[in-house]
Amino acid sequence: MSMSNIIECINLSHVYPEGFTAIKGINLKVKEGEVVAILGQNGSGKTTLVKHFNGLLKPTNGTVSIRGNDTAKQTVFNLSSHAGYVFQNPNHQLFATSVLAELEFGPKNQGLANDEIEARVEEATDFFELNTIINEHPLRLSFPLRKIVAMASIYAMQPSIFILDEPTTAQDHGGSEKVRKFLRKLQDDGKTVILVTHDMPLVAEVADRVIAMWSSEIISAANPREFFLDLNTLDKTKLQQPQATALSHRLQKRVLNEGITLTVQETIKAFEKVVNQKIN
Amino acid sequence: MSRLPSRKVTPPMTKEIIRIENLTYQYAHTDKPALVDINLSIKKGEYIAIIGPCGAGKTSLALSLNGIVPHMTVGEMRGKVFVDGIDTTQTQVRDLAHIVGMVFDNPEYQLSQSTVLSEMAIGLENIGIPRDEMLKRIAEALEIVGLSGLEERSPMALSGGQQQRLAIAAALSMYPKVLVLDEPTSNLDPMGKEEVFAVAARLNQEKQMTIVIVEHEVEVIASYADRVIVLDKGQIVNSGNVNDIFSEIDSLDSIGVRPPQVTAIASGLEKKGYHFKNLPVTLDGAEATFSDWLKQDKA
Amino acid sequence: MAGEVIIPVAYVSGTSWFHKLHPIPKLIWAIGALVLAFSTRNPLFLSCFFLFGFLLIILAGILKNYFKLLLILLPISLSFIVLQSLAPAFPRPWISIGELGPFTLYQEGIYSGISLFLRCLAAVNFASLMILTTHPSDLFTALHRIGMPHHANFMVSTSLQLIPIVQREFIIIMSAQRSRGMKATGFSSAIPCIVPVFAGTIERIQQLSLSLASRAFGSKGLKTNIREIEASLKDYVAGIIGLGFTIAGTWYLIYYRVQLDWSEEALLPNWFSKVLVVGSALIFIGTILHFWRKAKG
Repeated sequence: MSMSNIIECINLSHVYPEGFTAIKGINLKVKEGEVVAILGQNGSGKTTLVKHFNGLLKPTNGTVSIRGNDTAKQTVFNLSSHAGYVFQNPNHQLFATSVLAELEFGPKNQGLANDEIEARVEEATDFFELNTIINEHPLRLSFPLRKIVAMASIYAMQPSIFILDEPTTAQDHGGSEKVRKFLRKLQDDGKTVILVTHDMPLVAEVADRVIAMWSSEIISAANPREFFLDLNTLDKTKLQQPQATALSHRLQKRVLNEGITLTVQETIKAFEKVVNQKIN
Repeated sequence: MSRLPSRKVTPPMTKEIIRIENLTYQYAHTDKPALVDINLSIKKGEYIAIIGPCGAGKTSLALSLNGIVPHMTVGEMRGKVFVDGIDTTQTQVRDLAHIVGMVFDNPEYQLSQSTVLSEMAIGLENIGIPRDEMLKRIAEALEIVGLSGLEERSPMALSGGQQQRLAIAAALSMYPKVLVLDEPTSNLDPMGKEEVFAVAARLNQEKQMTIVIVEHEVEVIASYADRVIVLDKGQIVNSGNVNDIFSEIDSLDSIGVRPPQVTAIASGLEKKGYHFKNLPVTLDGAEATFSDWLKQDKA
Repeated sequence: MAGEVIIPVAYVSGTSWFHKLHPIPKLIWAIGALVLAFSTRNPLFLSCFFLFGFLLIILAGILKNYFKLLLILLPISLSFIVLQSLAPAFPRPWISIGELGPFTLYQEGIYSGISLFLRCLAAVNFASLMILTTHPSDLFTALHRIGMPHHANFMVSTSLQLIPIVQREFIIIMSAQRSRGMKATGFSSAIPCIVPVFAGTIERIQQLSLSLASRAFGSKGLKTNIREIEASLKDYVAGIIGLGFTIAGTWYLIYYRVQLDWSEEALLPNWFSKVLVVGSALIFIGTILHFWRKAKG
């Protein structure tokens, strides 16, 4: 896995035409292959920030570089091949009459040859397990499936950066599990993932790093374990620890003397260890 | 770190407010019924949570409580739904509005007016409430949901959580006996979710409002619900109090529903041979259970 | 935000005489203005009428918002001058007043173009006066009071709310599709943008109808209104004046239409007409390009 910075923001600010400062003084480096979660309440600037990564927004101050190239000089069309943005509402992206046509849309726009388009669509279909519904009309699919199709349609463009806006929101448990599975697959493939989310258990499970935003600024950049121990930041951003983490945190002070846990499995192991220590 | 009001202890009143008898509903052009032989009794003042995987029929069940199913959907219905003694199959949705309030999953899609005040007024204007009474009810409802002072604001300028609270207030102003909420927090950020759950809890605990809520946030449900109804493929597969329901981890897992994380932790440890008297379902309960358990000297 | 082109058709709060006027007389004036404007082509009458409306707009204190609206309507209206001068909507024969490259300009065309331009602006002045100073709920309530069905009014006022919402959705969808490599120009971008807008709007309306039904929309019997709209003497007087002026004016314009038809006389020097046509064309094309570039972001 390469250790170069694939995304770099230097003193990035964005002020909307009406005068509203959405983000200010953002300094952020994302290494290739990292999974970075960007957290914050609605209005904190998360979406404004990530829209700079594929050029939908250009900085009003500072710079954003993708693989060392300044985005200010590039079009969304060019950047979309490097940074794929999956919008929160799949209904904003799905328009074709079949899942196949949706998957073809991106590669076709990229001007690829037909056999290359076919290969990429097949890869996306396999990766996201869409073989059984490849000819279905996207609007006839359930909402969780539409979200997967939207992700697959971006995957077919083979960007090295995936920007996922709330991939598990409005999903049931089954849908969330699918998203988690695909996220881990992307991680294994060395893709860089920018995850904008409120799903704390998801963050605990997959994120390498957590960026917390509040009032247009980054107020914390830490690994999940550090982040979920930072009660001040959690309080300010009104975010909560996942229940498993909250439990281990409460018990840490009284009984555990171990670090906090991030997931159910980790908590089970940690508790077992403590009990076994007592036995031995 | 919980900021929500704590769980009530008073038992619900015994009068039945909702009775569903052998309800089966199949939407037109589908090959399977959305609801199959549903029998359900809900008492006044109960906080009922309906959980289940996507496609289980939760929304269809919720919408049957104010007559949207069958009057505003196309399909075939068998069985009966009685709300406050009234047969919903014989009564139009508009005539059930003052008995059952309905809140939907997308906050914005429920709003259509230029100010909070006019949004609140629509329902009351429709049923011919005099102006003075209207203003009184609106002020009351806005106060309950915490939106007092925002009467002249545009609904589109509100946050998601505020919009959903407005939708709740609009339903409340009709003085319903039951409030049905269909995945009300699925499109909200954590703060918005908390606001909505807090309002629902307050209505149930302070005003004894019957709440029927379709939700995926099992950790919150575990703190508030008197009873949980588990739906899968249109049928009620389980029904009971939160402890009973969330303890059946394998059964929930098989239909694609997850239990609260603390319950999953306890269940995972049980599978490794450890024993708990009761599986905890809330964070406080889990803290008590595990701190005792971890302190014990095991031989 | 890049790509934002908002059409400023919305109520502007204020305390002018017009804001306080009952919605019905305002509606009468707006409709009356439309009738009068389209009853004649006489440029003098139309200019005076336009200026009269403009004066009322200044008095109502809505000049800034009116200008925003004008920024979009003016170029479109100027295009009429261009189109009419090349192909007048007038019975032949036409009097030629000169050449402009391959195009021939006609006197009737200039007359027709200018009068169409002034008609639009005169009518728009009074329509703006009504829309910008009348809260949609007040209009809705007033119409309901005079017997319009509850539903019809509601449909109109809700549709007005939908305009900015659909615009906003369209912008989001454009961004979403551009993120998939779609180029923002040309017909190929139409379907990927329009289908989601339609699908989303339909879903929104379906949900809204369920929400409204759940709030007793469609109930039989008495409806009440939260807004208090009481007509006072001045409102009746304003309405009667508007109605009277419309009827009398229309009669006058039609009765004297022959004398008021100035199309046979060259009203403007030929060189000025040419400049007018070229200028209008440039402004029209320039405005289209400006908004196109703004929409692209």
